[in-house]
Amino acid sequence: MDAFNSLLLGFSVALTPINLFWCLVGVLMGTVVGVLPGLGPAATIAMLLPLTLKMDHTTAIIALAGIFYGARYGGSTTSILLNIPGESSSVVTCLDGYQLARKGRAGAALGISAIASFVAGTIGVLGLMLIAPPLARFALRFAPPEYFALMVLGLVMVVFLAGESMVKALLAMFVGLWIATIGTDLFSGESRFTFGQAKLLGGVDFIAATVGIFAIAEVLVNLESRGAAELFKLAKGLRNLLPTLQDIKDCRFAFLNGSLIGFFVGALPGAGATVASFLSYGLEKAVSRHPEKFGTGVIEGVAAPEGANNADASGALVPLLTLGIPGGNTTAILLGGLILWGYRPGPLLIQEHPELFWGLVASMYVGNVLLLILNLPLVPLFAQILRLPYYVLYPLILGISIVGVYSVNNSLFDVWVMGLFGLLGYLMRKLEFPAAALILGMVLGDSLERALRQSLMMSQGDIAILVTRPISGVLLAIAALVLCLPLVRKVRYWRVEAIEREG
Amino acid sequence: MKHRAMSVAIVVAVLTALSGERAGSQEFKPSRQIEAVVHTGPGGGSDLLARAIAEMLQKEKLISQRMQVVNKSGGGSAVAMSYLAEKKGDPHTIGFFTGVWVTNPLTTTEATVSVKDLTPIVRLMLEPAVIAVKADSPYKNMKDFIEAAKKSPNQLRQSGGSITGRDNLMRLLIQKATGTQWTYISFPSGGERLSNLLGGHVHMMVIEPQEAGEQIRAGNLRVIAALTEKRLPSMPNVPTIKEQGIDVTIIPQARGVVAPPAASKDVVQYYEGVFDRFAKSASWKQYVEQNQFEEGYLKGPPLSKFFDELTVLMRDVLKEAGAKVVR
Repeated sequence: MDAFNSLLLGFSVALTPINLFWCLVGVLMGTVVGVLPGLGPAATIAMLLPLTLKMDHTTAIIALAGIFYGARYGGSTTSILLNIPGESSSVVTCLDGYQLARKGRAGAALGISAIASFVAGTIGVLGLMLIAPPLARFALRFAPPEYFALMVLGLVMVVFLAGESMVKALLAMFVGLWIATIGTDLFSGESRFTFGQAKLLGGVDFIAATVGIFAIAEVLVNLESRGAAELFKLAKGLRNLLPTLQDIKDCRFAFLNGSLIGFFVGALPGAGATVASFLSYGLEKAVSRHPEKFGTGVIEGVAAPEGANNADASGALVPLLTLGIPGGNTTAILLGGLILWGYRPGPLLIQEHPELFWGLVASMYVGNVLLLILNLPLVPLFAQILRLPYYVLYPLILGISIVGVYSVNNSLFDVWVMGLFGLLGYLMRKLEFPAAALILGMVLGDSLERALRQSLMMSQGDIAILVTRPISGVLLAIAALVLCLPLVRKVRYWRVEAIEREG
Repeated sequence: MKHRAMSVAIVVAVLTALSGERAGSQEFKPSRQIEAVVHTGPGGGSDLLARAIAEMLQKEKLISQRMQVVNKSGGGSAVAMSYLAEKKGDPHTIGFFTGVWVTNPLTTTEATVSVKDLTPIVRLMLEPAVIAVKADSPYKNMKDFIEAAKKSPNQLRQSGGSITGRDNLMRLLIQKATGTQWTYISFPSGGERLSNLLGGHVHMMVIEPQEAGEQIRAGNLRVIAALTEKRLPSMPNVPTIKEQGIDVTIIPQARGVVAPPAASKDVVQYYEGVFDRFAKSASWKQYVEQNQFEEGYLKGPPLSKFFDELTVLMRDVLKEAGAKVVR
């Protein structure tokens, strides 16, 4: 009953007209920065923070958190329509989302992404409300060996990203792992593979690389087949632009999978939404009855990662609000904001300022409803972009990509990186290497290497530390099982073949 | 004729007045938005500080133009510093430096711009640090910790940032002074450093008092030494490391403002004036207290001297630490 009373208190805060208004402003702005590649929620919140000084503090955090989770709704839009990942956590959404758009189901993909975001957002808030303190304590049990095991689990998802050839997928993944090593080594301070370029000291920018590999490569490939009269089929009539009941039924498990993985991974200070989205995509494919169709445009392939990156936003608030520990850039700015407003963020925050915590939680229920109401009607509108002829659409994709990538770090160098990765992506497409495997290596490489080296430092070089600890041991065992899956399938296939031959 | 003479006189008078005006005021006034360059992305320490200062400057009406924070992250501080070098002589660009701006060029071949190439404006503050352990840890003071480290070398663990960061350099100095050794594990984010300490995976960390404060109040952490010259006002019961008999150089973590290379005298004067008034403002005092920083205002020749001495000190400490020193 305690939580219920507190939640009532929260709603009494969140539903005041002024808080409702700022919640709407926040989620609206979040949607916009999510849609635009480049300008992310972290930069937006940082810019707006000074404006909140004169506001009521609860109102301020309601508005800023709205931008944070609202951006996760918008991130899928350009992924699905233009193959441009709007945020790094929407990279996975490109895989099936863009294929759905090409099949004329852009509306369904956009719609399911909004619904998945809503379901996951709501489950995430429930989690934040009910289990935040114990979950935060559990997350503290994650030391480097556990992170290593988690990253390995992410990495074996490559078996689900492979197309025809596992060898090609592994090669692409290892190139991705190599690219992740570029930059300054945290442990020795030495620079690796920078070729004397100061701009490479910070590594290859992830957004620049992914936009290149997905969007630019897509443009290049399509330039060749200019003769094709129609790029996208687009259903006529509004009703066909939204997901069908069957779509929603197909995504039941994806909603749940995305929500849970997203929320738990979000609560870990050292993981992040991109990892969560890859994990949930992999799990979705692993349990699917038609795994071979993933990557060609299945609706669950959009629902799972989109759910995961939304639940991650709620998860990321767990260590921030219960321990005062920020998990990423955006939560670090929110932490800075709390200090600026005169709070003392830490383990006692919820106890001493219940109105702040519960007001925020309640506002997130409201915000998720608002986002669904905002985003669903926008679906048919956004889908109209695909009616543009190719000679308008391609320059548009190029323009959005260049502006977006430039604006991340205000760096022209990153635009060149994007171009280079565009060429790489084009070659990979021609030679049938899966781009997603390379991206996976890039996403996880850094954390994987770091966690491994930290673990070995902890154990004075004894590699047993990776398997003897319970959590990491279990995670690694699951990873080993996943690796065996394709083998099992192959054996089954051989058996069926043999039986048929005998028959 | 009379008219003409008079108009000539007026013109002459106006001209002299104008030129007099010009000769009398060498003053620089920003005519457009000021770019404040930081070396971290949004949410990093320098970014948060720069944004807070931009806001306070506006609130206290100390600058006539807006100050826009520009994030130039990457390569430690190399990207931000080479950006400032490109802006040579531009009076509308400043940068927010930290200790990394001194150490990074020392250890990184690619970081070709050193803090000496830039124009010092002011040092605003120092960030004090303390040594914290978990509240249920057996180490009640430095002596306990050092003894444990002596008993089992390399078995104790400290979480921290990059190996060229202050936390690691202080570790090396303390190890040398006490003849001990323990393991240092780098984590990129402060959040991970703290959660590994709270989770009991490492035994101690060097942390800023503001960050530690709430964990202490909640009974999660204990502070066993202040890495400062004098005891911290917010933690009067915590003895400094020197009081506990460990005589080490305290590496200062300074933050302040620099201008691009070859800034003219009037530009330097302008910014010094702005930050002079700023350092005395109520907003800044409150901010320093809230975040438990130490005031450390410095400008002109003493600031140049500070940079020189810090460079020498860091080079020595880094060499001792076994880091590759390239210049």
